Amino acid sequence: MVLTKEQLKEVETSLIQLAQKEIGPLIKSQSGTKFESYEDKANNVDLVTVVDKKVESIVQDFLSKKYPDFAFVGEEGFIKGETKIGDKPTFIVDPIDGTTNFIHGYPYSCTSLGLSENGKAVVGVVHNPHLNQTFHASKGNGAFLNGECIQVTPRPLILQKSIIGLESGSERAESPGSNFETKLRTTNNLLSEKGGFIHGSRSHGSTAMDLCYVATGLLDAYWEGGPWAWDVCAGWCIIEETGGIMVGANPGEWEIPLENRRYFAVRGGAKKEEQTWFVESLWSHVEGRLSY
Amino acid sequence: MAAKEIDLKAVEEFLADLACNKVGPIIKSKSGSQQNYELKTGARNVDIVTTIDKQVEQIVWNTLKSQYPGFQFIGEESYVKGVTKITDDPTFIIDPIDGTTNFVHDFPFSCTSLGMTLNKEPVVGVIYNPHLNLLVSASRGNGVKVNGEPFNYKEKISSMGTLQLNKSIVGLQPGSAREGPNFKCKASTYQNLLSVDGGFIHGSRNLGSSAMSMAYIALGSLDAYWDGGCYAWDVCAGWCILKETGGRVVGANSGEWDIDVDNRSYLALRGAHSGEEQEKYVKEFWSCVIGNLKYD
Repeated sequence: MVLTKEQLKEVETSLIQLAQKEIGPLIKSQSGTKFESYEDKANNVDLVTVVDKKVESIVQDFLSKKYPDFAFVGEEGFIKGETKIGDKPTFIVDPIDGTTNFIHGYPYSCTSLGLSENGKAVVGVVHNPHLNQTFHASKGNGAFLNGECIQVTPRPLILQKSIIGLESGSERAESPGSNFETKLRTTNNLLSEKGGFIHGSRSHGSTAMDLCYVATGLLDAYWEGGPWAWDVCAGWCIIEETGGIMVGANPGEWEIPLENRRYFAVRGGAKKEEQTWFVESLWSHVEGRLSY
Repeated sequence: MAAKEIDLKAVEEFLADLACNKVGPIIKSKSGSQQNYELKTGARNVDIVTTIDKQVEQIVWNTLKSQYPGFQFIGEESYVKGVTKITDDPTFIIDPIDGTTNFVHDFPFSCTSLGMTLNKEPVVGVIYNPHLNLLVSASRGNGVKVNGEPFNYKEKISSMGTLQLNKSIVGLQPGSAREGPNFKCKASTYQNLLSVDGGFIHGSRNLGSSAMSMAYIALGSLDAYWDGGCYAWDVCAGWCILKETGGRVVGANSGEWDIDVDNRSYLALRGAHSGEEQEKYVKEFWSCVIGNLKYD
């Protein structure tokens, strides 16, 4: 089965409704109120809250009733080594992206609702209730911010003139060759006057929001290791619909699956050759290899 | 001019009106439209100055001069290194567009930052971000307002739990000088703050605007902000706002408990349940700083 453009648009519309009516108000009202009540996950920086789980069950209930034949992969229900993304239509959902922001009341937590088919992102809805922004897209139907078509202003895309989303993430173990080391070194190379000397780096602590900012062209790129398929699925679709591309964070990773864990997104508003050149220039500053 | 003669609340309202109605609309309409920018020379050649930046400063200066003719004025664009000095006089300290790189790229964290000092102390602060339509303002003794409404910072702080290093999110921005000892100090300090074996802070955020970072601390979205290379106009408004919410600003280097507005390196932190809690936080933070930030 391959979903038609119309079917994809219908899913997009349902996800927007769900995000704006059900999830948004919950995130907004609970953000910044759970300082003392989080559980520890992988380590005590990556926080999962009761609300996170509650939101996921609301989403799963809603979607399983409306789309009983579709599979579902969510951050909270995910089992490492068992949960797989197959070819059939699969909702890939991060109930609350930017959990640390959510805990601290930093206004960059959002819900990230995606759909994949044949392993590719085909619908994406990201809703940030604090800023009242809904980014949404489906394959072949264009991308929108609050219903208005996103069009990235064409302009030169050059490493030294770019601002790039760079996050430190929650995995921060220092050892030779660790992902944390690779990120620090690469970040340093990109910033350094003797290296990439980029205009700037920005960090808001939410992969989904970073990807949406690349989609709208507010950021020129986003380079990161560590996110999961649910962090990137929605944003990936939105980026592709605005002419942007997604490749891997390590040099040479031109084609990557949804669950690659290492991502490098580049905005649209540029020619294919410019994007390719940009990717290669950034890769030349990657020191070490990210592996998960 | 004696302090009691100046109605700080009136100054705050005047600046808020100027920020929202004159400066804000220019920033908003011109953001992302200036692809042909000049590059400043030397160490700051990532720091972009645009024509608009200069225009906005002129507008602010003219408006303030006619309303407050006896006050001094220090602005980013008219500042002359080694010559411009902050005195005890009432002095407007202004960054027409804070976050110029954001402004050029249309990243929605450029804002205007309008402050005033009296006896070198920040006593009025107005920060307006037209992209988020967020106005944060304060004057000494009058509390903080968000979009004109009083902000209940006490309630916010009491809901926030203890201020402690490994539970905090910290604003960290590498800035525009990207070589030499200060860049090295920043990079190693970031690493040490983030590392499991170091401060292991909850997270770092990089907004690319000192004023917005400080406004976010006052609102409780960030716990602290550590930076070097900023000027008085980047921090003056935010400093006043922070103080009104029980926050503090100290130096970026260990032991710098008392600093001037033009210290060039800063550690700003939010209000907490007690002064001891804040002092403990500052000491823990300083213990993670590797090397020293130093500016001419």
